[in-house]
Amino acid sequence: MKKVTYFPGCSAHGTSEEFDLTVKMVMKTLDVEMEEIPDWNCCGATSAHTMNESLAYALPLRNLVLAEKLSNDTMTIPCASCYQRLKVTKVHMDENPELAKKINTTIVEEGNYKGRVAVKSMLQYCYEDIGLDAIKAKVISPISGMKLACYYGCLLTRPKSITQFDSPEYPMSMDNIVEALGAKAMLFDFKTECCGASFSISDTDIVLQLSGKILEMAKESGAQAIVVACPLCQSNLDMRQGDIEKKYKVKYNLPVFYLTQLMAMAFGFPKEKMMFSKHIVPVDGALAHIGEVIEEPKKPAKAKKAVKAESEVE
Amino acid sequence: MITLSYKGKNTFLEAVNKKSGSDVLECYQCGKCVSTCPVSNFMDFPPREIMQMIKLELKEETQMANSTWFCLTCSACSGRCPREINIPAVMEAVRHLAIEENFHPDSKQVKNIRKFHEIFLDMIKRYGRNYELRMMAEFNIRTRNLFKDMHLAPKALLKGKIPLGVKSVKSAKAIKKMYEMAEKLEQQNK
Repeated sequence: MKKVTYFPGCSAHGTSEEFDLTVKMVMKTLDVEMEEIPDWNCCGATSAHTMNESLAYALPLRNLVLAEKLSNDTMTIPCASCYQRLKVTKVHMDENPELAKKINTTIVEEGNYKGRVAVKSMLQYCYEDIGLDAIKAKVISPISGMKLACYYGCLLTRPKSITQFDSPEYPMSMDNIVEALGAKAMLFDFKTECCGASFSISDTDIVLQLSGKILEMAKESGAQAIVVACPLCQSNLDMRQGDIEKKYKVKYNLPVFYLTQLMAMAFGFPKEKMMFSKHIVPVDGALAHIGEVIEEPKKPAKAKKAVKAESEVE
Repeated sequence: MITLSYKGKNTFLEAVNKKSGSDVLECYQCGKCVSTCPVSNFMDFPPREIMQMIKLELKEETQMANSTWFCLTCSACSGRCPREINIPAVMEAVRHLAIEENFHPDSKQVKNIRKFHEIFLDMIKRYGRNYELRMMAEFNIRTRNLFKDMHLAPKALLKGKIPLGVKSVKSAKAIKKMYEMAEKLEQQNK
């Protein structure tokens, strides 16, 4: 059994309870024991680094120091924004010990930062540490028939120098996981476009435009639903979808799932345990496609021959 | 096109470079950041122009623009910048310098964004964690827009999307102390 430190983040107790719940279900199935950081605090999110540089480092640093008190050498975080703040802090502290010393003066009682614990997003942990084969092995009721657009948002894979994970332009890790669950991942160009994040409250029009474009592209890809691994992406695409439809006079009806909700379903947990009742856009329409056979477009036979001919020449 | 700058000590360019860890002079104005930026159409000056304004020492114009407040730090621009400039860090440096030197853009949008962040940080100071419902309520009160998003309230509250309470941290004292110490560090940085 693997052990990993868990940082749930504020939204796990708020808007994204269902994410937290299904992460726990999925990890248990995959034989991973999660140990929550005792008395963790908010990472500061966008607000801290917008307004106050020292605070933007100090808030995540306290969590990193608390995590070092547990024996595990990796920490996993479901929220993309928390992940980004903790990882940025870790990378900058490791690169610049002098800065680490300075910021450490804000949390003297908690102890000194050593840089021992690796920070990974939940997606990265599933993909790198658990692996596709182990995930596949646990699938007992595949979600085949579903056509999904995997939306990563900006913070899971960018900036590359910080995340060191997957592609910043066209990542495939989540696509590969949903395919392992039996679903079809659609070609989707807006995988890493920004949803507008915290402007949801402070300048809603920006979110309506940005998230609107993402919904538009997801619909165009032929997907029946969107999959995310970030609470803010979920609430912007789900809770604001009605406003977007009204503003641009369109109809999307695209439910927005957390990756772990779909994983838990494929692992055989009953639908009732996923807290789908919290979703604003109803999920039943998309789930009804489970079990359908997706017809693959036939590849043109001529093109194949041409490729063969070329290789023969070599 | 003017690309010369007043390179020397105590210039705006130097201050931004030092704070961001990037060299703005590297920018050759290709505009890739503008076409990549998801919010450039909301900005007074898109990132490319901000870069040029920093080079030209147009300090006040840069600080008073709404651009840096709209930057989402999504890092799409820096990922594609052929000069590998950390543009979000430059935007952040300009914003932090503006906060330190008390530049307050007049736009209502910037005021709202600033208020939102202040309320958010206030929530963490009080509870150690974000109290989502209270944060939204305070934002509506402080921006005098009581009914903003009220149409979402029945759905969001009844479905339990937004819980009514918050589980605050036990070591509230540690958080308060951290805020005080961080404020001291900010004063030293000035």
